[in-house]
Amino acid sequence: MAAVSDDLRYGAEVRRRAREAPGAGEVPAGPDVVTGRAGNAEQGAVVSLQFRISGGRVVEGRFRAFGCPHFIAAASWLTDRLRGSARPDLEAWDWREAADSLGVPPAKFGRLLTLQDAVRDAARNWPGAAGSTV
Amino acid sequence: MSAVVYLDNAATTPVDPRVVEAMLECLGPAGDFANPSATGHEPGRRARARVERAREEVAGLVGAAPGQIVWTSGATEADNLALFGAARFHRSRGRHIVTSKTEHPAVLDPCRQLEREGFEVTYLKPAADGIVSAEQVAAALRPDTILVSLMHVNNEIGVVQDVAAVGRTCRQRGVLLHVDAAQGAGKLPLDVERDCIDLLSLTAHKVHGPKGGGALCVRREPRLGLVPLQFGGGQERGLRSGTLPTHQVVGMGRAYAIAAAEMQADAERIGGLRDRLWQTLAAVPGVELNGHPTRRVPGILSVTVDGVEGESLLFSLADLAVASGSACATTSAEPSYVLRALGRSDRLAQSTLRLSLGRFTTLAEVEYAARRICEEIERLRAIAPEGIGAWRR
Repeated sequence: MAAVSDDLRYGAEVRRRAREAPGAGEVPAGPDVVTGRAGNAEQGAVVSLQFRISGGRVVEGRFRAFGCPHFIAAASWLTDRLRGSARPDLEAWDWREAADSLGVPPAKFGRLLTLQDAVRDAARNWPGAAGSTV
Repeated sequence: MSAVVYLDNAATTPVDPRVVEAMLECLGPAGDFANPSATGHEPGRRARARVERAREEVAGLVGAAPGQIVWTSGATEADNLALFGAARFHRSRGRHIVTSKTEHPAVLDPCRQLEREGFEVTYLKPAADGIVSAEQVAAALRPDTILVSLMHVNNEIGVVQDVAAVGRTCRQRGVLLHVDAAQGAGKLPLDVERDCIDLLSLTAHKVHGPKGGGALCVRREPRLGLVPLQFGGGQERGLRSGTLPTHQVVGMGRAYAIAAAEMQADAERIGGLRDRLWQTLAAVPGVELNGHPTRRVPGILSVTVDGVEGESLLFSLADLAVASGSACATTSAEPSYVLRALGRSDRLAQSTLRLSLGRFTTLAEVEYAARRICEEIERLRAIAPEGIGAWRR
């Protein structure tokens, strides 16, 4: 019996992360947890990122995402990528890094901007940041 | 069960082995491979006899006389010949055409071209269940209307139009009726005489025949004039020049003969499988049926899944060959214009699956597909943020 072939529109890492969604879920609520949200379901992409902060750095990340496989994979990848990051790292994070790392096609770049917006939102909510809700 | 469960029979079907056998008899050196127009010798006459037998088989399925069948390369060519041929021949009588917004592109694109040539086209909007009523058609007819084009079965949602009622309306008003029956022929009864259909587009590959074979059934009494689209050897009474592909024609004839003999049994079995699939999916919150609940072809089930993004759902179901709510052309990410015409939002149109069953679909495949779809809906909803869509557990 032939195996199901891989859909080559998606790179290997995108396929793995979209199927297994490592990092999906929520960090238990607490004063040391920041959340960043962005997106619009009608436009096909909504993400919620949660980071636990300790010593001024991200020590744990989780995501919830509604969107295409590239979007889910990139949200999952971010929860690993931003571990150890400080607030200025989140403020400076650029969506192109996810595009390059995961081989996201240009048609999906707009979705990655949504992800960048969520990271920026988390930076705004960082404990002690002006306007922080944490 | 194969590694990928094939539930895309509305796109195309596997060729029935009995059809393959008939086609092979027309291909090899010992077979009936000769040019069926070369009737000056025995091999040519044998090929001609095969073609004429196939013509009888195709005509027989739709209540036509064999002489009404014009072979084409498929339903797209038949649609083009019907629309351009009829509009250009009858343009002195009027330049108004009526069709619907949910027709196949093989009808809509010729209509747009005819608009560029000076014709005026009215595109009827179906009700939310996908049905275009005969009353709607009647209300759209004008003194200068020459042609109505309405599909028998919608290829995306499977609803069945009452072409007989539309046919009676058109006949009373002296307007030609073209019906694209690519999805319905061989699956539901059709009779061009009873249903007052002047032009009927047919294809082989939706009923387990070969791709590349089709026909246009043209009214003969009284004779209906058409301007041909291609010129050459004058085959098919000058309406469609070109050497006939004997094996394709014979394959289509055999497929239609089998469909005629097995239509009722196939419809009952396939309809039962479709109902079983729907019963399982309907139990999942936020899953809705597209199109009329009962006026449906047995093999097509279109469902919209709220709270799940369409591309991810399709990606997750790599072990199922199904179609999405992105337009008919799978290369397009645009939401289906058919679903949008029925009032679905872009988001919900994108989150739609078309599951289409055929003669070789099994109960085990349907049960597997139902389980896998439910699993992936649950998984994708579990990783989505709260509050996506209107569905609730």
